[in-house]
Amino acid sequence: MPEQGGSPAQLAWSRFLARRSSRYGLGMLALIVLTGIYAPFLSNEVALVWWDQDGLRFPLIWDLFNRRSYEKIYDVYFNVLALLLPVLAVVFATLGRRIGVTGRIKIGVASLALVGTFCLLPVFPGHGGRVAVWDHRPFTASGIQEWSALPEAKRPFAVFTPVKHRFDATYPGAILQSPGTMNPVTGGHYWLGTDAGGHDVLTHLFFGARISLTVGLVAAGLSFLIGLVVGAVSGYFGGWVDLVLQRIVEIMMCFPTFILILTVVAMLGRDIFLIMTVIGITSWAGTARLVRGEFLAHAVRDYVTAVEALGLPRWRIMFRHILPNAIAPLLISLTFGIAGSVGAESALAFVGLGDPTAPSWGVLLEQGRENIRYPWLIYTPGLAIFAIVMTLNLLGNNLREAIDPKQRQ
Amino acid sequence: MTAYIIRRLLLMIPTFIGILIINFAVLRLQGPTLVDQMQAGVGKGGGEGGPGERKAQGAAKDVENYIDRFRRSGLDLPALINLRGFTGRDEVVARLRDSAGDGPNRERPSTRNGIEKDLWLGGPQLVEPLLAVVADDGLATLHAPAALALSYCAYVTVTARDLARMPAQRLNQIQERNERLRNDRIRYTNTAQGFATVDPEATAKRADLLALFAVPGTHAEFTAARATRWSDSLVRTGFCDFMAKLFTAQLYSESRKDYVFSVIADRWYVTFWLNTISIVIAWAGSVLLGIRSARRSGSLEDRVTTSALFLAWSMPSMFFGTLLLYYFCTDTSGSKAWFPNRGLSSDDALWLPTGQYLLDLLWHAFLPLVVLSYNSFTALSRYMRANLLEQLDADYVRSARAKGCGDDAVVYRHAVGNSLITMITLAGGLLADLFSGALIVELIFSIPGLGWLMLDAAIQQDGPLLMGSTVITVSLLLVGILISDLLYAVVDPRIRGRYA
Repeated sequence: MPEQGGSPAQLAWSRFLARRSSRYGLGMLALIVLTGIYAPFLSNEVALVWWDQDGLRFPLIWDLFNRRSYEKIYDVYFNVLALLLPVLAVVFATLGRRIGVTGRIKIGVASLALVGTFCLLPVFPGHGGRVAVWDHRPFTASGIQEWSALPEAKRPFAVFTPVKHRFDATYPGAILQSPGTMNPVTGGHYWLGTDAGGHDVLTHLFFGARISLTVGLVAAGLSFLIGLVVGAVSGYFGGWVDLVLQRIVEIMMCFPTFILILTVVAMLGRDIFLIMTVIGITSWAGTARLVRGEFLAHAVRDYVTAVEALGLPRWRIMFRHILPNAIAPLLISLTFGIAGSVGAESALAFVGLGDPTAPSWGVLLEQGRENIRYPWLIYTPGLAIFAIVMTLNLLGNNLREAIDPKQRQ
Repeated sequence: MTAYIIRRLLLMIPTFIGILIINFAVLRLQGPTLVDQMQAGVGKGGGEGGPGERKAQGAAKDVENYIDRFRRSGLDLPALINLRGFTGRDEVVARLRDSAGDGPNRERPSTRNGIEKDLWLGGPQLVEPLLAVVADDGLATLHAPAALALSYCAYVTVTARDLARMPAQRLNQIQERNERLRNDRIRYTNTAQGFATVDPEATAKRADLLALFAVPGTHAEFTAARATRWSDSLVRTGFCDFMAKLFTAQLYSESRKDYVFSVIADRWYVTFWLNTISIVIAWAGSVLLGIRSARRSGSLEDRVTTSALFLAWSMPSMFFGTLLLYYFCTDTSGSKAWFPNRGLSSDDALWLPTGQYLLDLLWHAFLPLVVLSYNSFTALSRYMRANLLEQLDADYVRSARAKGCGDDAVVYRHAVGNSLITMITLAGGLLADLFSGALIVELIFSIPGLGWLMLDAAIQQDGPLLMGSTVITVSLLLVGILISDLLYAVVDPRIRGRYA
C-alpha cells in the first residue's frame, strides 16, 4: 500500500483500515453497538406507531423515558442515545465537510458526555410521561385480544417492533420453550426460545449488548485511568516512588484477579455498577506496566529535557507532552481491556455472582449450564460473548500491527 | 544460583503480604453488615414484655451464638487499632448513660440500642471496667445493664478444637462459669426514663456475679486481656487476630462448620494436579505447534492454524466447557453420554483395581483437562510462533545458516532454545489466569476442588473460607512462579553467569 504523507496517527489509521479484517471488525462492533442502542426498537411490547380515531401516536418513544419501564441508568443512557444518534448523523452529513474529523470527534464526545450528565439528573418521570403507555394495556401487543374484539372500522393501525417481547417481562407458560414457539399473550414468536425464568432469549440477547458495552467501557476506562496515572508517575519520577509502585503492580499481577473480584462481589453485593468498578480497579496492572515503560523511554528524550528546561510543571509535562507521544500503545491495551472486562463480567455472572436484575449474557449462559438440555441457552449467549470478545481482540491485534509496523511480517 | 533463589523468595514476601492485606480489607468491608445482622436478630428475639425489655434467658443463647460467630470469624475486634484495652470505668459509665438516654451525648433511641450492643461485643477487655461498675454501690441504676454486658464480655467461646485439646478441668471451669454468667443476668427495661430493673432476684444475682469474679484466678484471667502498653492497641486487633488464626490454622468456616484448612486439605490437590497437568500439556503442545507453524510461515496451513488459534483464543472457556458438557456428557439428541458429567471418580472407584481406577480417573478428568489446557494453549502457541519467527530473523541464525547448518539444526539447536526462555516466563505469567479458569472448569464439570469450594464460599459469604482458599491458591501460584523462575535460570545462561 503506498503511504502518502500525514501525521503518524493518520498513517497508522490508514494502515489499520487497509486490512479487510479490521473493516469487518469495525462493522461487527458497529452492529453490536447499534443492537445495544436500538434494543428497545428491536424488541418491545409497546407499539412503535399507533393510529386510531384519536390520532397518531408513538407510544414506544414516550416509553423510552419512562423510569418505570427502564429502571437502570445505562438503559436511560442508551435510550437517549438512540434518539440522539440520528440527529448527530444528520448534522454530520450536512455539515461534515466544514467540521472536519477532529471537530466531529469533539462534537461526538461532547454530546455523549452531555447525554451522560443529563441521564444522571432525576428528570425522568416515574410513569409514562404524557401517555401512560405501560399501564395502558391497549398500546401494547399484549392488548391484542382487546382490540381484535372491536369492530373492523374502530380497530387501530399499529406497527410493532420485530420481536414482541419485553425484556423484563415473564410470560405465563413461557419457561424453557423451544425456539419458534408462539407467545399467546403478545402474538409474537420466541425465535430463540425462552429461558428458565420465562424471558425471551432473543430479547435478552439484544438488551445484554447494553450491559456488555457498559461494563466494557466503564471497567476498562477505569482501569485505564488508574493504570495511566500509576504508570506515568512510576515511570516519570523513578526512584523510590517507582520501587513502591512497582511492588504494588507486582502484587496486582500475581493476584488471580478473578478471585479478588469474586471476593469483593461476594462480600459487598451483586450490583452491576459495583461489579464494573471492581473489575476496573483490579485489572490495571498490565496498563500500568505498559505506561511505565513508555514513560521511562520518553523521559530521557530531548523534547522532554527541553520542556523541563522551560520550567513547566511536572503534571503538564507528563500529561500534555509525554502522554500524546505514548498514547498509541495504550489504545491497544484499552481495546484488549474492554474485551477482558466483558469476559470477566460474563464469567462472574456465569458462576452465579452476577447482578440478578441486569440481563447480561453471562446470566443466560449460566442458565444454559444449569439446564444443560436446552442448547439455545448455550449457543445464544455463548456466541454473543464470543463475537464481542473476538471483535475487540481482532481490532486490538490489527491496531497493534498498524501502530507498530515492525511487527508486520 | 542460591543467591538467585533467595532473591526470588524475598521478592515474594511483600507480594504475599500485600495479597493478605488486600484480602483482609475486603473481608472487613463486610464486617459491619454482620454486626447489623446481629443487632437486628437480637432486637427481634428480645422484646417480650414491652418495648426494650431484655428477655434475659431467651435472647441470651442467641447473642452467645452471634458472639461465637464473631470470634470464630475474627470480626469481634476493631480492624487496625484497638483502644478497648484502655477503656476505663468512667467511659463505660458514660456509654451506659448514653444508651439509657441521659448521658452526655443525648443519643436518639435507635442509636442508644446500638451503643448498648456494642458493649456486649466488647470482649474480655471490657470485663474489668464493667465489673467495676457492677461493684460500685453508687451506680445502682446501671447495675443491671452492666451485669448483662459483663456476662457477654466474660463469656468464653469454646471451639471444637478446644473441646478436643483443652484439659477437662479447665473446660469444666469455663463451662460452669459460662453457665453461672447466664443465670446471673438481671432482667431490666430500657425505657425513655432510663434503665429500670424488673428482676426480683436482682440483689442475689449481683452478689453471685461479684462472688464469681472473687474466685482466685478469674479476675486475673481477664485483667491479662487489658492493655498496659500502647503497642497492645496495635497488636490486639482484628488484623493480627485474623492473621494469627490463619497461620495457626484456626480459621473457622461457618458455612461448612469446620476448620477452613481441614476443608481445604481434602480438596486442594485436585486443583493442583489438574492445573499442573494442564499447564504441561498446554506448554508442550503449544511449543510443538508453534515450531510447526513458524517453520511453515506464510503457507496455507500456517494461515489456517493462526486464524483458528485466534478464534479459539477469543472463545471464552465457559462457552467451550458448556458446549462440551452438552455434547459429550449429556444423553440428549439421540446420543448417549460419552463422558461423566460430575466428579473425578465413579462412586465405586475405590474398589476398582489400580489399572481400572486410573482409567476411570482419566475418563473423568479428560474433558476438564481439555478445557483447562485450551485457554493457555491458544495464548502460548501464538506467542511461540511469533517469538520463533523473531528468532529466525536474528543475526545469529543467519550466521548459523551461513556456516552451513541444516534447517533442522538451525531451528532446534539454535532458535528454539532461545524461544523457550520467553515461553517459560509466559507460562509463569499465565498461572494466575489458569487458577481463575480452574474455577469455571470445576463449576462446569462439578469437580470438588479448590475453585468450586471458593465459589461456594463466595455465594455463602463465608469470609474465612474465602481467605483460606485464596491463601492456598496464591501460595500454589507463587510456588509455580518460583519454579518458572528456576527453570528460567536453568535455561538462560546469562542468569547462571550473573549469580555464579
